[in-house]
Amino acid sequence: MTGTTATVAERLAVLRRQQAFAAADEAALAGLIAVRPPERMPRPDPVWDDAAVLVHEVVGERYRRLVLASATIATTALAGQFLMITVPPALGERILLPRPMAIHRRHPEQGTVEVIYGVAGRGTTALVDVGVGERLLVTGPLGRGFEFPDAAGPDAAGPRPARTALMIGRGVGVCAIMGSVEDAARLGIDATVVLSGRSRANLIGSADCAELGATVIPVTDDDGSSALAALGERLRGLFAGAPPDVILVCGAGVLARLAAELGAEWGVPVQVSLEAHMACGLGYCHGCAAPVATDPAVEGPLVCVDGPVFDAVLPAG
Amino acid sequence: MTIAPPMPPTDARRAFFDARRAFEAVNLSVRIGSLTLANPVMPASGCFGPALGRLIPVAELGAVVTKTVFGTPRGGNAAHRLTELRAGMVNSVGIPSRGAAGYLAAQHPLYLALGVPVIVSVGGHRPGEYAPVVRGLRGAGDAYELNVSCPNLDRHGTDIGSDPDAIGTVVQAVRRETDKPLIVKLPVLVSSIADCAQAAEAAGADAVCVANSIPALPLTADTRSPVLGNVIGGLSGPNIRPVVLRLVWLAARAVDIPVIACGGIETADDALDYFSVGARAVQVGTASFGRPFAMVEIIRALQERCEGAAAADIAELIELWRA
Repeated sequence: MTGTTATVAERLAVLRRQQAFAAADEAALAGLIAVRPPERMPRPDPVWDDAAVLVHEVVGERYRRLVLASATIATTALAGQFLMITVPPALGERILLPRPMAIHRRHPEQGTVEVIYGVAGRGTTALVDVGVGERLLVTGPLGRGFEFPDAAGPDAAGPRPARTALMIGRGVGVCAIMGSVEDAARLGIDATVVLSGRSRANLIGSADCAELGATVIPVTDDDGSSALAALGERLRGLFAGAPPDVILVCGAGVLARLAAELGAEWGVPVQVSLEAHMACGLGYCHGCAAPVATDPAVEGPLVCVDGPVFDAVLPAG
Repeated sequence: MTIAPPMPPTDARRAFFDARRAFEAVNLSVRIGSLTLANPVMPASGCFGPALGRLIPVAELGAVVTKTVFGTPRGGNAAHRLTELRAGMVNSVGIPSRGAAGYLAAQHPLYLALGVPVIVSVGGHRPGEYAPVVRGLRGAGDAYELNVSCPNLDRHGTDIGSDPDAIGTVVQAVRRETDKPLIVKLPVLVSSIADCAQAAEAAGADAVCVANSIPALPLTADTRSPVLGNVIGGLSGPNIRPVVLRLVWLAARAVDIPVIACGGIETADDALDYFSVGARAVQVGTASFGRPFAMVEIIRALQERCEGAAAADIAELIELWRA
């Protein structure tokens, strides 16, 4: 029982820092979120599948990667869509609600999709025990994904397809944007991807970006490079005079805010993918109210069907 | 490098749709007033939407039940609206509603297209608010489920459904608006479920649904602060089954009208527990989130159980167990 006082003080400091961070992250989204206009590509019909687990491995210090066999989902999912994964019953633990997870990679040729998750709560802790060769009940693809909107052309030339994109992902939020990195590679869009995390060992997506030919800017908390001010200045310098045609972001409210600020400065659209607790993933449980202030008599948008991808626009004034 | 063509789209959902078969010697039909359902399995209000029709063969259900419709639009509660504890799921969605007119315009056509009886759930903040909602629905729906598990603003927020007099007032008023079957969905926290069920029956209800989620207060594990934006939510899931089983048993002994059981049903065995204490139909809620096909699985399993025991219906199956 030595150093008890210091330990309690230290623990409280950590807890308060986490709470302050969470509060700042939530506050950063205030007034920022708007439902995107109807998509150009119709959403694929969702299915459920008993997906065989082909790979289940540790990634970095905090994450696990699943490769799941589901030909329908792999061939139909759009960038930024998500799955609901039902955690099978385990010894001593019954998980009732499926967990929403972004589709990290789509491999239509193999009929597989990848998801990466952080072990955070009861559900993801129980998910760790699922072995290769077992099957997972997955429902998807779900939600409204990312799109590359046409960019304004020079003078009267009219809109033109996007040629460059800045994508910013933090932590497991990188997964939501990786489908767009895949699309960028396919469409010949020049992708610059900021991968943010606590440390180098915790960065997701470096290998994927290398495979897909995207330019990676790794930033981490341990060397200070992920700090908002530093990252903002770095991106302003990098894109000085030649801003990207669109910014896609996921993983932190404060990063969505930074992206919206950059978007306003550069006059380019910003899309953000949000996460929320949800039960159905299809819109009927109404559990995942998006952080959008509306008339109290009118239900606001839902993260699962109106998102998870929204426009991020700085409030006027 | 050669790239194989994409694999043909096959998935477990498709196989499940294809697995439907007829059970000629088994009759699972059930009557709720003047309405006959092909089988006794339906969703719990709030745990179903037409969107689920893309994932499961909804035509196999006995009926569908809508999310509760209030007279005027409601936005629902603040985030977070749901969480999961070891004890079960807790939700404080707060029943967003577009109002009767909004329901008719935007949602009812989608329910109608499902091809099974539509039971419209109706809510109110005061006993006097139910009949106008039913009037506003202008005959839409095959039956009405009166969700009386709502705080009564005329009586300091006591649940309307915990007050037999208020239940009687609601049912009598709605009865004057419609000849269609009326189901009264009773809450868990009542001093006498028998009194509440009898009040519904005496006022002209065709069935009671027992019960609803149980009021609960979920706290975060780290700081012991409320998880839900609304602080209080409704507990549901398999852990509430023994609690509701008792209520169904008590209600079924108290009234002659059918009792529809609703509480933690995940499997055909769970449904049979309820049937064995007197329920005539069941509603499935939380189970559909993790297993969207749970209701259809239960119906198919009930048919197989009856067929396997050479029982013509569920009542006969239960008699055979007891013989």
